[in-house]
Amino acid sequence: MSFFGFNTTLPRDQDTGPAGSRGFFENPDPFAEVARASALEDDDAIDFEDTYDGLGDQLNDDQDEFNDDTFGGGDTAPAVGRDFDFFGRTAQVADAIGEEHVRYTLQNPQAAPPAPLHAHVAAHPVAESTKRTGYEKYSDPGYIPDLQAKSSVWGLSQKKPEPSPAPMPAMPMPSRKMMMSLEEVEAQMRNRGQAFGPIPTQSIPQQMPDPSYMRHPQDFPTLPDGFPANIPRNSSEHSLRRVDCPRICRTLLQAFRSCMEARVLCLHLVQNNIPQNLPPQGPRHAGPPPAQRQQQMPPPPSRGPNGGLPVITNPQQLVHLTEEQRNAYLMEDAKRAKRNHKIFLLSRGNGLMTPQDKNFITRIQLQQLVAAAGNVADADPEAVLAEDFYYQVYSQIRGAPRQHPHQPLGHFAQTYLLQTGNRIGGHGNRRAFQGADNHMQRMQQQVQRAVEAAKAKPKNKQLIIEGSLGKISFSNAKAPKPMLNLKRPDSSEGARPKKVQSDLSTSDRKSLLGNIEAVYNALMSMEDMERTMPPPPEEGDTEAIQEHMEWRQQVQTLNQKLWQALKVMEPIVPNATTPHPFIAFLSYPKGKKAIPRIFRHIDQEQRVTILTMIVVHLDSLDVVRLAQHSGPGEAQLSVAVREAIDLFSLAVMPSLLGYVNEAPFNIIIGLLGLVIAQTQVIHVARTKTGLGILTMLLSRAEIVKEAGQASERDWQQWVEKFNVLFDMLEPGLAHIFPGSINSGDDMYVWQFLAAVGIGASPEQQQRLVIAVKDRVMETVGYSKTLPADMSSQRLGNVNLFMRAIGLDVELLG
Amino acid sequence: MLFFSFFKTLTNQTVTIELKNDIRIRGILKSVDQYLNIKLDDVEVLDLDKYPHLSSVKNMFIRGSVVRYVMLPRSEVDVGLLEDATRREAANQAGKAR
Amino acid sequence: MERLSLNESPANAQRNPQQQPQQQQFQQQNSLGPAGQMPTSGPPQLPPQMFTTAAQLLDLTDKKLVLVLRDGRKLVGVLRSWDQFANLVLQDTVERIYAGKLYADVPRGIFLVRGENVLLLGEVDLDREDEIPSTVTKAPFEEVFELKKQEDNKRKSGDKKRHTELSALGFEPEHSGEILF
Repeated sequence: MSFFGFNTTLPRDQDTGPAGSRGFFENPDPFAEVARASALEDDDAIDFEDTYDGLGDQLNDDQDEFNDDTFGGGDTAPAVGRDFDFFGRTAQVADAIGEEHVRYTLQNPQAAPPAPLHAHVAAHPVAESTKRTGYEKYSDPGYIPDLQAKSSVWGLSQKKPEPSPAPMPAMPMPSRKMMMSLEEVEAQMRNRGQAFGPIPTQSIPQQMPDPSYMRHPQDFPTLPDGFPANIPRNSSEHSLRRVDCPRICRTLLQAFRSCMEARVLCLHLVQNNIPQNLPPQGPRHAGPPPAQRQQQMPPPPSRGPNGGLPVITNPQQLVHLTEEQRNAYLMEDAKRAKRNHKIFLLSRGNGLMTPQDKNFITRIQLQQLVAAAGNVADADPEAVLAEDFYYQVYSQIRGAPRQHPHQPLGHFAQTYLLQTGNRIGGHGNRRAFQGADNHMQRMQQQVQRAVEAAKAKPKNKQLIIEGSLGKISFSNAKAPKPMLNLKRPDSSEGARPKKVQSDLSTSDRKSLLGNIEAVYNALMSMEDMERTMPPPPEEGDTEAIQEHMEWRQQVQTLNQKLWQALKVMEPIVPNATTPHPFIAFLSYPKGKKAIPRIFRHIDQEQRVTILTMIVVHLDSLDVVRLAQHSGPGEAQLSVAVREAIDLFSLAVMPSLLGYVNEAPFNIIIGLLGLVIAQTQVIHVARTKTGLGILTMLLSRAEIVKEAGQASERDWQQWVEKFNVLFDMLEPGLAHIFPGSINSGDDMYVWQFLAAVGIGASPEQQQRLVIAVKDRVMETVGYSKTLPADMSSQRLGNVNLFMRAIGLDVELLG
Repeated sequence: MLFFSFFKTLTNQTVTIELKNDIRIRGILKSVDQYLNIKLDDVEVLDLDKYPHLSSVKNMFIRGSVVRYVMLPRSEVDVGLLEDATRREAANQAGKAR
Repeated sequence: MERLSLNESPANAQRNPQQQPQQQQFQQQNSLGPAGQMPTSGPPQLPPQMFTTAAQLLDLTDKKLVLVLRDGRKLVGVLRSWDQFANLVLQDTVERIYAGKLYADVPRGIFLVRGENVLLLGEVDLDREDEIPSTVTKAPFEEVFELKKQEDNKRKSGDKKRHTELSALGFEPEHSGEILF
């Protein structure tokens, strides 16, 4: 090869990554850079006092396996230090290189002009004969180490000028390079600058920032014919990168432009060049990867006379298209070409920000974040819970917040999760995950260290408050700026707003809501306690027993606190104008929702107390009081009331039922007695909730009886109470159905009637049938007009009752 | 950090954001940071005619302080949990103030 | 790739997402205890890095953006660099001025924007950027600039009046000191 593997990059530039794999066009994994960078940085403690230089020093540490090969070190040579003279060694054989180059140039008359290296060799023979530092050449302002050598990599050395419509304007003239004045050099550089914009000295696109651009490893540019196919990719990239990129870009631009023209022409003439593998490009599709762009682009014009034409993949393709399709294709193609051109123009300055830069900033922000919010890797889960409770728990509940796993993951997540270098081999690929584990652990450790560092240092408040967009606000997330600034009128009585439409005065409402919050606070403390339960002590381990005792003591205290807050034990004031505090508590959705949680933390005695309170106040419960319907044809209940009823059945009833299902019979008898004695049964029976509770009691009694657990005396007591209840209910039985026959939801009524029917005497059953027979007949008649499934459902409901008293709707014909 | 914690759970959901200058933008919430800056993907600006400068924008990074409302899918919010989170936050604040 | 956890545990990754509200409550309690094992045994979460400004700017590097600043300027340029404050470096920047049904472009070159001034930034869809909405037409800079000045003055006085009236009612201006575009 003409360039001997000679590397013109500065030694300092070599530090930034492992050998190879950072070529502009060939790097299939843009995040490999980030990955590598962070993998390397993982080994530093996160200390942001460190400067970049400090990090840079470490970057090379584990990348020197090939130093011996490269620099001729090895056993015989002294160890190569970090400040090795990279260029010097090469310079020692510069003469040979020069000769080689001349010979190569002679053998390939059309090849690139002699490299300036050669020119320099000639120009500075004296310097070379004295002691070399290897950097002499850099002290010459005329020395520009970008050279033809690399153009030859692209096969451009064989390039014939004719395929290119425009001359290569910036192709350096070797003769001018022989010796240039400073002005000349500057002029040249200015020209370059104009042609290509600023050229970042640190790193020309060693990485495309957008992985979508580079996702397909197969999207390597087609190498020109002249390119030695067997060159290891690394070495080619190695020599391609940086300094030569502008030229490559320029060359490609030339090629691109000429080819675009040629291509459109040829489309019209030959109609044969649909690339086979074009991805479908929606109008909002992101620009194609530059690499892909390379592929879509016709090969560079160095291919000979036909070089400007695209590869003909399938001549038949366009022929078979309709005129319309063809036009559409051409449009699409032109659009794509336009976009590609834009991307090309944009990409000139790519990579100004290196992956290391991005990583560095990310870490700064991460540190701020963990300092402010805690972190999943934080050693103290309590701190995490305190600051990030909703997210943490929500993630647990829903498995993961990602509801649309098919959406492409943010690049960023990929970057940080899968950046171990072995890229993920597919979704859920276990091996890939295991490969990534190592990195995960390190990442975790890193974050942990970041947290420790953040904790060790006093928080820089200013830094955190100022936030990612600088400080402009007078408020922040924790102390938002108030949007209202109302001045209170002096006489607070004077301008009082009208009372909210509510049967509770505002002050009561406020204190009630306060009570509810107290209940929740107690609940949450208890739930926290549950998490900190010590393991069950072993026999004889006094310390553990002691610990356990203390824990139980605390739980007990909290239980009392909860019980107090519930105000279940407040005395019942007969004929009070305001409802009992516990009943008021239950009238709020938050109160209803709390019941299942409360029931988990209280004992049986407390449960029965709550149930008793509810039963005693059955007709003053909001879901009973506000839910009266006085019979068929009544207007529907308001949405709010219906929601309250649904919530009650969903949240409160299961807890009550859970208790009743295990309650001893005498309690059931007592409760039924309370219903009869304390409530207006007729009213209670006209509500879903009331009937639900009655059904609950009646069916439990029946189950106890069936199981033979009821003593004769208890049963007698029960039957007495039942008879009273029946007598009270009977006159209103026709009115316990909600709405008219066609409104549906009356299953709970049939359930209730069934529960009554089972326990009723034959004579009572008779009366029952008489009371509801109209509704039965109506329903049977109505169900005939319904579709089969609805019909059978309605009949099934009726049959619940009918079978309880030994009948069946079938018998009704 | 309650709001931050909350918005984090809405990643990859479609939300509509109304800015303080009345622009409304619908898009997929890709990320949010602790300042409640928001990144939206696949954005669609409602009433686009009034805001021609946003006509060709496909994703957006919005400064938290200019957001007036975020409209979000009801099904993705666990209200009970949110209530508890709010209580905890209030307790934390009270604890810190003390 | 939907498993986004720093502490990967694929076995836990799939939980039944459909839970009754109450069951959720229970599961919530259960999953928190005992002894606060949660952070290491929990199901996947997104990595914290995901929720940084850097994460949001990362994808936008070297892309063509529209920037809207606090003073209402609209800039179009290529994002080349940024920092943790979202200070931004834009290349080949063009300021686009809108007024009425007109707009004008003013080439500005390199722009370094202090982060606090950014209200919004959006990535330009290269396919659509040339489809200028039919509601606006390009006009000479001087004309648009003059029109804009008039509009701004009108709006400012209108805003001032509204703020005075609103603050009398107790409303703080929504963006005191910030001129929104």
